[in-house]
Amino acid sequence: MNEFHLTEDQQDCLQELINVAMGQASDQLARYLDTFVYLKVPSIESVAAKDLLQTLSQQQNTMAVVSQGFFGYEGIRGEALLAYQEEDSGRIADLLGYEPDELSEDEQLIDISSILTTTFLNVFAGQIDNQMSYNAPKLLPSVQNSLSEHLQQMTFNWDLALKVNINYQVTDFSFNCNMILLIPETAIINIKNVLDRILAEF
Amino acid sequence: MSPSVLICDDSNMARKQVLKSLPEQWKTSVQTASNGAEALTILRDNSVEVLFLDLTMPGIDGIGVLQGIQKLKLNCSVFVISADIQPEMQAKVKALGAKEFIRKPVQTDTLINHLQQHGLL
Amino acid sequence: MFDFNALLSPAYSESSALIEPVLKQINNQISNQLNTGVLVLDADFNVVIWNRFMQVHTSKKEEDVIGQSIFNAFLELPERWLTRKFASVLQLNTPTFCSWEQRHHLFELPHTRPITTDSEFMAQNCTFLPIEVDSQQKYICILIEDVTDVCHYQGQLQKTLDELATMSRIDGLTQIYNRRHWQESLKQEYAKARRHDKKLSLIMLDLDYFKLLNDNYGHQCGDMVLTEVSALVGTLLRIEDIFGRYGGEEFAIVLPETNLAGAIELADRICREIAKASLTYNTEAINVTASLGVAQLSSTETNYEELITHADSALYQAKAQGRNQVCSAVYAQTSTLD
Repeated sequence: MNEFHLTEDQQDCLQELINVAMGQASDQLARYLDTFVYLKVPSIESVAAKDLLQTLSQQQNTMAVVSQGFFGYEGIRGEALLAYQEEDSGRIADLLGYEPDELSEDEQLIDISSILTTTFLNVFAGQIDNQMSYNAPKLLPSVQNSLSEHLQQMTFNWDLALKVNINYQVTDFSFNCNMILLIPETAIINIKNVLDRILAEF
Repeated sequence: MSPSVLICDDSNMARKQVLKSLPEQWKTSVQTASNGAEALTILRDNSVEVLFLDLTMPGIDGIGVLQGIQKLKLNCSVFVISADIQPEMQAKVKALGAKEFIRKPVQTDTLINHLQQHGLL
Repeated sequence: MFDFNALLSPAYSESSALIEPVLKQINNQISNQLNTGVLVLDADFNVVIWNRFMQVHTSKKEEDVIGQSIFNAFLELPERWLTRKFASVLQLNTPTFCSWEQRHHLFELPHTRPITTDSEFMAQNCTFLPIEVDSQQKYICILIEDVTDVCHYQGQLQKTLDELATMSRIDGLTQIYNRRHWQESLKQEYAKARRHDKKLSLIMLDLDYFKLLNDNYGHQCGDMVLTEVSALVGTLLRIEDIFGRYGGEEFAIVLPETNLAGAIELADRICREIAKASLTYNTEAINVTASLGVAQLSSTETNYEELITHADSALYQAKAQGRNQVCSAVYAQTSTLD
């Protein structure tokens, strides 16, 4: 995670905060979805926002991307991108507890993304004595070319990205999604302060 | 009188959190492991009495360690300390012989209570 | 973004017991002057608060809304789906959203914009926020934002973009495909033919003495001829044939799943019909003929451009042999191979 210039201790602390947030979020989700969520260790890497496009396009079967802005106190804010391979999207309605014809595939994707993003970020915020509010999630156009354009526009405003690879496996079907948190430099400084505060307790 | 303690977690910070929550007199006889394989190596000679175990680790995970302990028929009190708090997981670890399931981040009082309940303090 | 939690938080009452009534009045006035609908539901989905926006836009009576289940107050709501959405807010304590792009509206509120739109109802973005009071009582706050303008203009934009896309494929004068798009289509048909081992033929068509026509009768006459001939040829083609303007007076037709014999037959018919056509310009009778070159895709071509070359050679042959006729690439190939 050199891009963030986090020390090894800060890295470790952040990883642990994310692990705990994932654990609690998965539990909440499991109860809401009435199923069991199999938790894998989320891996974290940082990428320069300008390299983000390359990183995303390295995944095959692109994919739908839902983006949602989040805002906390102390300048901790950013944009969360959830990137999917577009398989199994028919099952998401079922998973969410809807009849498939009650909502479009786009809406299903947006709904599950919002749930995954906000549940995780809420718990994460709680761990650092913060609180998040959110913009409405948007589904980015999925045609390959316009996806790149859109991302290019977005990454122009952000400096660094924290890529948290979260793999959700739910009972007998797994869907893979990557959560990418785009964070401006000012927010990163604030996050480092928070990490240092926590590390000081030991 | 402090028993031999092993803390197994891939996160340095998590290990420190557990260490901080232990009773003072226990802190002198603590070993640490950062993955399941390391833990099993230490546990093998059957000198560890209390194990604090994380579940989500790369390689051999917490479940793997619990299974290893059962197989080797080791005499060890295992307290699982994990971020994965789903009821199914809690039931699973207890079925595999863990004494208690404690959710992260671990609090000193909670830890002390559990140790007392199991007659280790 | 509005943080209603902050408005309702106890922090205000703690530090300012004296001015609480004032704060309350201010909050109420904000709520009632907002250009956004506000509804607050309890955990059983009964409406406990609504603001002026809602009163004014629904023209419902207070007793039909406050204290009622939201589904009784607003019969148009999809109950099953919305109940599940409410559940996510309460159980997960997270906000959820509903965008006009996926669902035009939830509440049937007539729109009041001075523009005609496709729907009589307001396009809406809805936000559903979790609200917790005294750590036990949970509520859901629904914010309803009027986005009719956005929806309308987005629609216009999309329509314009579609038109632009179409325009960039069509030749302005003749209204058939322009060269770029026609060539792109040929490229695709070529690939298909190669991939599935299908037949493919090509006709290149050039109007005879077109320059002379322009010089004698003027460009407007020339334009008329081009337009009329395009229309005529169009009537002779099948739906799968791809007809485009290749040059000033040159046209091209892609014939999928057609062999040489079939292509020649069609070319002959086109040639005859053009020669037969009685065109008039300023009461003068205009006669026009065309030369046509035909080629079928064989195993020799390594790309689609080579097929064009073969058809072009045949076209050249037709010109050389006296015009107003069809030549096919078999002969042309034979002659060039010699």
